Amino acid sequence: MDLAAFRAALDGWLDEHQGELTPDPGTTGTLDAQMDHLAMVKRRTYDAGWMRWGWPERVGGLGGSTLLRAYLGEALTSRDLVEPGIYSMTEVLAPTMIDYAAPALAATMVPRLLRGDETWCQGFSEPGTGSNLAALSCRATRGDGVWRVTGQKVWTSLAQYAQRCLLLTRTGTPESAHKGITALFVDMDSPGIEVRPIETMHGAPEFSEVFFDDVAVPLGRTLGAEGGGWSVAMDLLPYERSTALWHRAAYLHRRLQVLLDTVRADALDPTAVGEVAQLLYALRARSRATQHRLASGGHLGPETSVDKVLLATAEQAVFDLVADGLGSEVAAGDDRTSDRWRRGYLYSRAATIYGGTAEIQRNIIARRLLDLGADR
Amino acid sequence: MTDDDERELFEGTLRRACGSARGAALDAALDGLGWHEALSVDPRLAVSSLFELLGVTNATASAIDAVVASTLGLKTDPSTGTVLPALGRWAPPGRVAGESLMVRGVGVGSLADAATAWVVADTGESPLAVEVATSDLTLRAVRGVDPGLGLVEVTADALPVAASHRLEPDLWARSVALAQLALAHELVGASKAMLELALGHARERVQFDRPIGSFQAVRHRLADTLVSTEATVSALESAWDDGSPASAAWAKALAGRSARTATRHCQQVLAGIGFTTEHDFHHYVRRVLVLDQLFGTERALTRELGRDLLATRRLPPLPPL
Repeated sequence: MDLAAFRAALDGWLDEHQGELTPDPGTTGTLDAQMDHLAMVKRRTYDAGWMRWGWPERVGGLGGSTLLRAYLGEALTSRDLVEPGIYSMTEVLAPTMIDYAAPALAATMVPRLLRGDETWCQGFSEPGTGSNLAALSCRATRGDGVWRVTGQKVWTSLAQYAQRCLLLTRTGTPESAHKGITALFVDMDSPGIEVRPIETMHGAPEFSEVFFDDVAVPLGRTLGAEGGGWSVAMDLLPYERSTALWHRAAYLHRRLQVLLDTVRADALDPTAVGEVAQLLYALRARSRATQHRLASGGHLGPETSVDKVLLATAEQAVFDLVADGLGSEVAAGDDRTSDRWRRGYLYSRAATIYGGTAEIQRNIIARRLLDLGADR
Repeated sequence: MTDDDERELFEGTLRRACGSARGAALDAALDGLGWHEALSVDPRLAVSSLFELLGVTNATASAIDAVVASTLGLKTDPSTGTVLPALGRWAPPGRVAGESLMVRGVGVGSLADAATAWVVADTGESPLAVEVATSDLTLRAVRGVDPGLGLVEVTADALPVAASHRLEPDLWARSVALAQLALAHELVGASKAMLELALGHARERVQFDRPIGSFQAVRHRLADTLVSTEATVSALESAWDDGSPASAAWAKALAGRSARTATRHCQQVLAGIGFTTEHDFHHYVRRVLVLDQLFGTERALTRELGRDLLATRRLPPLPPL
């Protein structure tokens, strides 16, 4: 199916089912409700076929260009049917499984994620390992036909909902840095895993601490080669900075439109409004080029750090405008609409932190795109 | 030959021309290599490749005259130039009231040497294209911040309107859009050139026993320069794709702003040497300040966009997938 046909057919289907897919405004504030709603939307769109386009047939997909799934996410976020952050986890985790899991494992697991039967999380960061990912220390040792995992992860999004975790572990010596990392696909109901959700500033316990105490993971759950976890991570991160960003740009466009619909005309500086609209336009144009490169089989790499810097800048600019134009609602409104603006504003503060901080992105750009060598 | 091969060949020819000639000599070289035909056949190719090169090489030419005139269906050649809007403005440079023409504009390139010039004039209805003898115009050579550009201020009061014809109502807006795209490419070219100069310095200049490009404060300035330049490049591509006057104005605004960003960061990285006239950097700083003024500054264009958005309450559609 080509993009134009997909777009027309999907838009028609969404028009028809908009009512059933729209979240109940009374419950959209809680993460539990958002997760339930997301699972329903994924199941409905999977069963109708939409969610399967753009994914390979060997993992339950219907084939076709990756642009199809980029458009599906755009349509769902711009119609306000899903929260982009939790929706786009699929875009980050499924490609990694397809590229690195044993074919039979990918064929079993990926459809469950696409259909919304399961939630997966990504166990990368640790208390001592934030930006310096290669220093991670969560240890996996080979036991009797299994890996035995002991250690701690943190900032693990949706871990309390997840059935599986894509986990980075240290299998080499503590000094082996990026060479001694192995990626595992772990069942979250394995004995020895404890999840403690963390309350966040924007009011949703979106991420957790995850503790592993001698957790057994079958060797067949190794993703890629033993000691090859760094390349799994490096291939995953550009996905986090591509299709997920395309969806997020659609969401920001929607929020800016809603702001324009509601704000008093004299509450905003026209120059500030114009600048934010231009930032979104440029982000979208950049992200579009990235989507087309991905669709034509191109390998995504460090240049996606440019996309991430643009996204973070645009997201904070949109919500700075919200704080200017709807300041009293953000500060003191206790109705649902104000609460949503406030959550959006507070969450936007994390845009320069999650998925590689603004500083890490600039380090990548300097080293890999500007050829300035290693820092310090 | 494939389209890509042809584009490369064309760009290679342009690069050699821009590297070896400027001003009237470059105008002649462009004419010789078929740039003016390319402008009518494939404006995107002709405009994007030439103007980026003009920005990179800091060369000057009358090409912007041809860009404005081509959309209006007017002929330009070495003996006929085009009067551009006054600095900071994008409305037509002329105004006709009754039978009399007032002109407030600027010229670049070889306008001063041309026998006649086109002046587009507001009339209250659709604009007029008026052909004026340059001897009837008051031309003042502008030194200003960028003497190398050869800018002239063009004024006239109460000229009789002799040879003129009426333009389609939306033609001026389309002509402004093409000029804004051209200038945006030139600003991008200048930004890339400034970044290259600063990168070279950051790799070679050693302090505290290491290249200054190893210091994060320096690296991040250069990374930010790349990000804003790349964002503008993408916006420009989209503006060409959708072809609307509004998106051309946005691209020009983004280009002006990212060129100012590049100027600020690269100046700081180049530090003392970049502040001297021994180094090429100052030529770009000068050019960027004037290019931002032509056909609307980033500030004015952005404010205008914001006013429109607050009035219509409607975000324009974003580039589709």
